Amino acid sequence: MAINLVKGQTIDLRKNDKGESYDLSSVTIGLGWDVKQQSGGFLGKLFGGGKEEEYDLDAIAFLLDNNGKVANLGRSVNNNGRHINFFEGDIIFFNSLKHPSGNIWLTGDNRTGEGDGDDEQIIVKLDALDPKYDKILFIVSIYQGRQKNQHFGMVDNAFIRAVDSKGHEIARYSLSGNSSYNGMCAMTFAEAYRKDGTWKFRAIGDPHHTDSFVDILEKYK
Amino acid sequence: MAINLQKGQRIDIGLSKISVGLGWNPNEGTGYDFDLDASAFMIDANRVIPAEEFFIFYGNTDSPDTALHHTGDDPTGGNSDGGDDETITVDLTKVDNRITEILFVVTIHEANTRRQNYGQVRDSYIRLVDDNTGTEIAKYELGEDFSIETGVEFGRLYKRDGKWKFEASGVGYREDLAFFLSKYFKGQIIK
Repeated sequence: MAINLVKGQTIDLRKNDKGESYDLSSVTIGLGWDVKQQSGGFLGKLFGGGKEEEYDLDAIAFLLDNNGKVANLGRSVNNNGRHINFFEGDIIFFNSLKHPSGNIWLTGDNRTGEGDGDDEQIIVKLDALDPKYDKILFIVSIYQGRQKNQHFGMVDNAFIRAVDSKGHEIARYSLSGNSSYNGMCAMTFAEAYRKDGTWKFRAIGDPHHTDSFVDILEKYK
Repeated sequence: MAINLQKGQRIDIGLSKISVGLGWNPNEGTGYDFDLDASAFMIDANRVIPAEEFFIFYGNTDSPDTALHHTGDDPTGGNSDGGDDETITVDLTKVDNRITEILFVVTIHEANTRRQNYGQVRDSYIRLVDDNTGTEIAKYELGEDFSIETGVEFGRLYKRDGKWKFEASGVGYREDLAFFLSKYFKGQIIK
């Protein structure tokens, strides 16, 4: 679990405490992290140990209705002989990058100058999002983390931020954990939700053992 | 008459009701507000908080055993004119059996971004008061004693042979609340 030291806990995405308004026609949710260097010591370096392990972290978004559920689980399709579940539903992930409404998508590795430093980006047209969607949950999982023994105990300087369409950073949360996250292969990072006609953003930082969002989805079905 | 405990000095508290008071004056110049925060860590024999709820701060004002109560966040120092702006009250008769020590710290919120330290804050102090008699047991003038620092470990209540004692630590750091929290809590910290 996490302790949140951010005052006010939730951040209004539409305007800040100085009363400045943000353009929510498209908001970029950027996620980033570093992987701790495993030092292999002198001998390790000599024999090519201590090389930085590749971590493949994936960002996932769940669109929740006002019952807190993913209403549309998408469908199963065959893509060139590969079986894919949850295709074109209310879950945005590596096998279904764009929501059918076109209002939320995962950029993949398309890096522009803006938002450099984000390892993954999800773009949401908050103002255009169908009113039936009440909340967006942002999750990060370590691909094949369980079999590769990769976990959030080895992830450093994780952050999630929201940037408006003009490139202004609206909110940023840093999540720092430590060895207690050993063995945790996924993390519910944050949520954006509707409240009193505006969108609010809140960091959560809940770790999960599983490396698959499918297990986390159980709660939201 | 305040007794100003020397660093490391110890005093028997017994089982009284006590409170830790933090006071400072609002920023009358330009620039950001001064936002000082009083917090307490209820620590067990393993030197950690047994659960998140045993960290008492602006985001969690009551401990599960109801022994500690935080009066809530004052983001400017304007709560009182010259008196305590934030108070943590302690009823030592109610403290959970697992707790062997209660550590009090004061930090400046967003000191880094706002480029602040205690030296800039007028009339800032942290004190320990015996609520039965109203006597001040210990007091630090933050601006005097920790002018270039942003976080202070004020002191600790600790249990010896069933009796509570207070030890004044008076250690200053150029650190924030997350630094103290990471010492006594091994989970995730969101800043």
